[in-house]
Amino acid sequence: MKRAEVLELLAEQKASALSVATMRAVAPWHAAGGGASHHIDCMGCMGGAASLGLGLALAKPERKVIVLDGDGSLLMQLGILTSVAGTGAENYYHVVLANRVYETSGHQPIPASDKVDFAALARAAGYAHAESFDDIGVLRERLAGVLERRGPVMLALEIDPEFEREQMPRLQPDKQISVMRSQLTG
Amino acid sequence: MNATAAESVPAELLHDAIRELGVTHVVTVPDTHQRTLLDRLYADADIRVVTVTTEDDAIGVNAGLHMGGAVPMLVIQQLGLFASMNALRGIALDMNVPTFILAGLFGRDVNKSTAENRSRSVRLVEPLLDSMEIPHYAIDGPDDAGCIRTAFDQSRVVNGPVVVFVGAPTS
Repeated sequence: MKRAEVLELLAEQKASALSVATMRAVAPWHAAGGGASHHIDCMGCMGGAASLGLGLALAKPERKVIVLDGDGSLLMQLGILTSVAGTGAENYYHVVLANRVYETSGHQPIPASDKVDFAALARAAGYAHAESFDDIGVLRERLAGVLERRGPVMLALEIDPEFEREQMPRLQPDKQISVMRSQLTG
Repeated sequence: MNATAAESVPAELLHDAIRELGVTHVVTVPDTHQRTLLDRLYADADIRVVTVTTEDDAIGVNAGLHMGGAVPMLVIQQLGLFASMNALRGIALDMNVPTFILAGLFGRDVNKSTAENRSRSVRLVEPLLDSMEIPHYAIDGPDDAGCIRTAFDQSRVVNGPVVVFVGAPTS
């Protein structure tokens, strides 16, 4: 699957959810419109997206929180899976974009790139539901239903490594924090 | 700071100070030094304690809670500050997130100042925070508990991390 096409599908489903994106998901998520509102980018701390999203989910249990994570990012902070499961955050939707390489640094394979099963890791950690997708047609058909399931939910999406760098939007993460807080606290 | 010795502070004193701040969430990787404080916090119906596996994640969860309008803080061990330096920089500092941290000084010889302690985990943590431009205070006895309010308020003014070290195990 292509990163941009899965993110377009997810952006169509965002509605009133809050979102967190990191690393190579940032540019296509913004291009798809997902970053227009109620969104934060985690760029300065690889591995931080899932925990940022967990805090949001705990603060706003009435809102869905969609975390767009990378496989390398998640592996840096794998313990977050049990932290998420331990809170039982029913509004937490953890999307892992698995291209199985460290794309930015030159496409080196992630450890155990041919073996690691992210959905299985999430299930074993205690997520309420976890599922892998490698077919865009199946994802298109099932995505809405998966996002209605009680969380925490993981969607492990197998995507192709890419070689072209997207145009990054102009980001101001220090301002995003205060903007998001203003949006959520009125 | 750098008192020549530290004495134990009743957990009740710190708990009361935390409640007066209006804290809604305590994010923790449990700290041996503050075990009795954690016992009280876990039992407090007005405060949700969120246990995470790394201090990096504690900093991220704190940021998310803050964005969502909660009033969070961290209770960790000073070793977790060493462990979470990148998250302190990349999230708490660079993203301007108020991050109030109570950190137990595990391994401290309480009969000596922190600067005189042989253990690097005690002796170097304050200079480390100084190098990161992160303000810090110390509770080395019951009379120092007032710095909790000072440090918490400062974290909200600077929109960044401020650390209070708990010099001896809470009683």
